[in-house]
Amino acid sequence: MQISDIERDAVAEIANIAVGRAAASLRQIVGHEVLLSVPSVDILTHEEASHVVAKPGNRALIAVCQNFDGPFSGRALLIFPEANSLQLVRAILGQELPLEDIVDLEDEALAETGNIILNSFVATMANVFKRGLTMSLPTVLRGDGRQLFAGAPGERELVLFLYINFEISQKEIRGYLALLMDIPSLEMLRTLVQDFLDTVALKGAGQ
Amino acid sequence: MNSSTPDSSPALGGVLDVIDAGVIVVDSARRIVVWNGWMAQKSGIEAKAALRRQIEEVFSGLRTDRLVQAVSDALAFDNSGFLSHTLHPSLLPLRGSNGQPLLHNIRIRPMASNGQSYCLVQIDDVTETVRRQGVLRDRQNARYRAVVDSALDAIVTTDQSGVIQWMNNAAQRQFLYDADEAVGQPIDLFLANPADWPSGQEQDDAARRITETSGRRKDGSVLHMEVTTSQWRSDGRVFVTGILRDTTERKIAAEALKRLNEELEQKVEERTREREEALAKLFNAQKMESIGQLTGGLAHDFNNLLAAILGNLDLLRKRLPDDAKFRRLLDGAIHGAERGASLTSRLLAFARRQELKPKAVDVAALISGMTELLERSLGPSIQIETHIPVDLPAVHVDINQLELALLNLAVNARDAMPFGGSLSISAACDTFADGATVPDLGGGDYVRITVADTGVGMDETILAKAREPFFTTKGPGKGTGLGLSMVHGLAVQSGGALRLSSKAGQGTRVDLWLPRSPHEATSESNVVQPSLKLARRHCRILLVDDDALVRMGTADMLEDLGHEVVEAGSAAEALTLLQSGVGLDMVITDQAMPGMRGTELAAQIGRKYPGLPIILATGYAELPNEEDPGLPRLSKPFRQEDIAKIIDAVIQRGDAGAKVIALRR
Repeated sequence: MQISDIERDAVAEIANIAVGRAAASLRQIVGHEVLLSVPSVDILTHEEASHVVAKPGNRALIAVCQNFDGPFSGRALLIFPEANSLQLVRAILGQELPLEDIVDLEDEALAETGNIILNSFVATMANVFKRGLTMSLPTVLRGDGRQLFAGAPGERELVLFLYINFEISQKEIRGYLALLMDIPSLEMLRTLVQDFLDTVALKGAGQ
Repeated sequence: MNSSTPDSSPALGGVLDVIDAGVIVVDSARRIVVWNGWMAQKSGIEAKAALRRQIEEVFSGLRTDRLVQAVSDALAFDNSGFLSHTLHPSLLPLRGSNGQPLLHNIRIRPMASNGQSYCLVQIDDVTETVRRQGVLRDRQNARYRAVVDSALDAIVTTDQSGVIQWMNNAAQRQFLYDADEAVGQPIDLFLANPADWPSGQEQDDAARRITETSGRRKDGSVLHMEVTTSQWRSDGRVFVTGILRDTTERKIAAEALKRLNEELEQKVEERTREREEALAKLFNAQKMESIGQLTGGLAHDFNNLLAAILGNLDLLRKRLPDDAKFRRLLDGAIHGAERGASLTSRLLAFARRQELKPKAVDVAALISGMTELLERSLGPSIQIETHIPVDLPAVHVDINQLELALLNLAVNARDAMPFGGSLSISAACDTFADGATVPDLGGGDYVRITVADTGVGMDETILAKAREPFFTTKGPGKGTGLGLSMVHGLAVQSGGALRLSSKAGQGTRVDLWLPRSPHEATSESNVVQPSLKLARRHCRILLVDDDALVRMGTADMLEDLGHEVVEAGSAAEALTLLQSGVGLDMVITDQAMPGMRGTELAAQIGRKYPGLPIILATGYAELPNEEDPGLPRLSKPFRQEDIAKIIDAVIQRGDAGAKVIALRR
């Protein structure tokens, strides 16, 4: 299964728009600039995708995860090295909270933060394709890359892996935004992308 | 009870009303269509007041539009939303049965029914869960807190990336940060070198360690610390806790101790060096003392010989025919013997055995009186400068010897300035406490006479030997090597001191300290009384001397003066003679004799024959001051006229006194 360069670029472009919204939401929450990498889009196996996330030193990960369902389905994840997560929660809740409270509040705070970011990300994509996507409630997962991706749709199959690095300035917090889609969805996505490209082309011709 | 649902089902409505959670359903226009019993109870707003209205109308004054936004997103995009009490405390004004605010989370989900879009808003009461969590945690932490918060050492916990999560009271005191300033900051805030803190990704054993390091406080000051760290896990998460003990004072104390040790070593070295110097001085002093004794003894014997030679030469001159040739030969011999006498007198001076007649001396007057003599002695190429304060107190010294000493120093200076230069003589008062820096000087008031020249100076080796007798740099025939020895001897014998300072090429400075006299100097002291020529009286004199040669010469001189002489070779013999009833007018006794000495003999005679005049003949100052019986003295070597003068003086004194000397006739 391959996707063409133009399709890859189109997905990356759409993701870029979507993640821009998501980053704006995150910036609102933490009050610091959020820096983003260029999205990378690839068709990978689960194994390969988990390797991309599990960089050396990032073995213990924490992720907020929401499944989406619609014309295409899959899972959106906001991933941090676990070492960073307390800092992120502090950034969200304020510095003065004692450690115990932070630990207690960690999951709920992360769930809501992830929810805002992921909703804004996926909703933007859905909006671009003019298709509705149903988002589940967020769940918080811990583990290495492989465990995070376990139970995702099409686990044994190839997946479309969309991956964006982000960094919260002055906080030394890094993370990833990832989108996993199963292959049947991928074909749907490809159709949608083609539609999108046609629309862009039409608009371009119309001008 | 009526719960309003689009597809009304009484059974379902009943369920909704008893469920232990808030349930709100809004339609696509965001109007409330379901408001269950829990909502009515916790919000105090009945269903009929809420239905058909929008959430923001029912709860006016919501702090955030997150809820409204999430509901809109659910309806528009089928998004599910989650609002946590952690991010939005008291989002809805809900109260528990006790009237306290209710902690709640909100879940928002899109739902469809009969082709219509709805949104389900579910509110969960987490008050009790959060409270229970807090209670459990407090219970768990109580003992831990008691230990940690009362600890004197700073205790800090970080997460595995080294971000401070928690710190105890001692840490706040130690680093001067409040907890809310430090928590969330990297551990670098406290540590100068963050590598001293485990990264949280090491093996547990590697993370458990003790490090000596330095830390910093909020005010920028640095402290020394001993940091003990270990890492621990909680819910799969790694934390590092460290005890940061302030060892600044300990370190300062250790450094002080080290410094003290070093100082001690240094002091030991200094003391050792001082001791070695003192030993060297002592050795030198003993050497000088030995040389002194040797020369003193030698000079004494020479004096006796010279006395005999001079005495006999005097007599010979009287008896030989008045022939110019004879007289020249005799004068040569007498001159030679006199030079010998002068030499022994200097030797005795060095040996501190010369007979001193100390009295109060006005140094200014003495030096001013010497100026002409000095100018003549030094020649025109040497300029003489004197700096003597007018109010300089008198010193206690033998004036003739001091004059000789100054002359010696001036001559030395002249010899050091073969191409001319300047000689400076100055004087000043010095007062020393006991243990003063000037060598060989006790505490008290002194006058310092300084003679300085601009001559060739002396190097260290020469300087060290300069005071030794017979040491001279002047070349054969030019100096006796006794000049400075004599000055040194005079200074010490007079209770003063001598110090030489010089460097090759930079002139020489001689400081001579003499004790200040308690009396005023008397101007007449140095004036020689014109001697009255008295009619010779003929006396019978007992002459006591162990040296036969001297005794014979002296006897000859006495007889030549017209006296009758009875000779004794020892004090014992003299006493026997006296006891035998020989009539005597006077006793002349030598002081240094084996067996009984002159003073002891005089004491016995004084007791047994009071009024019998005794003259003590001494070769050197062998009398300790306290032993001085106040007898008239005849200094060896003496000439005939010396004997004549002293006998005249004794007779005169006897005549002047009311008590008549027991003269025989």
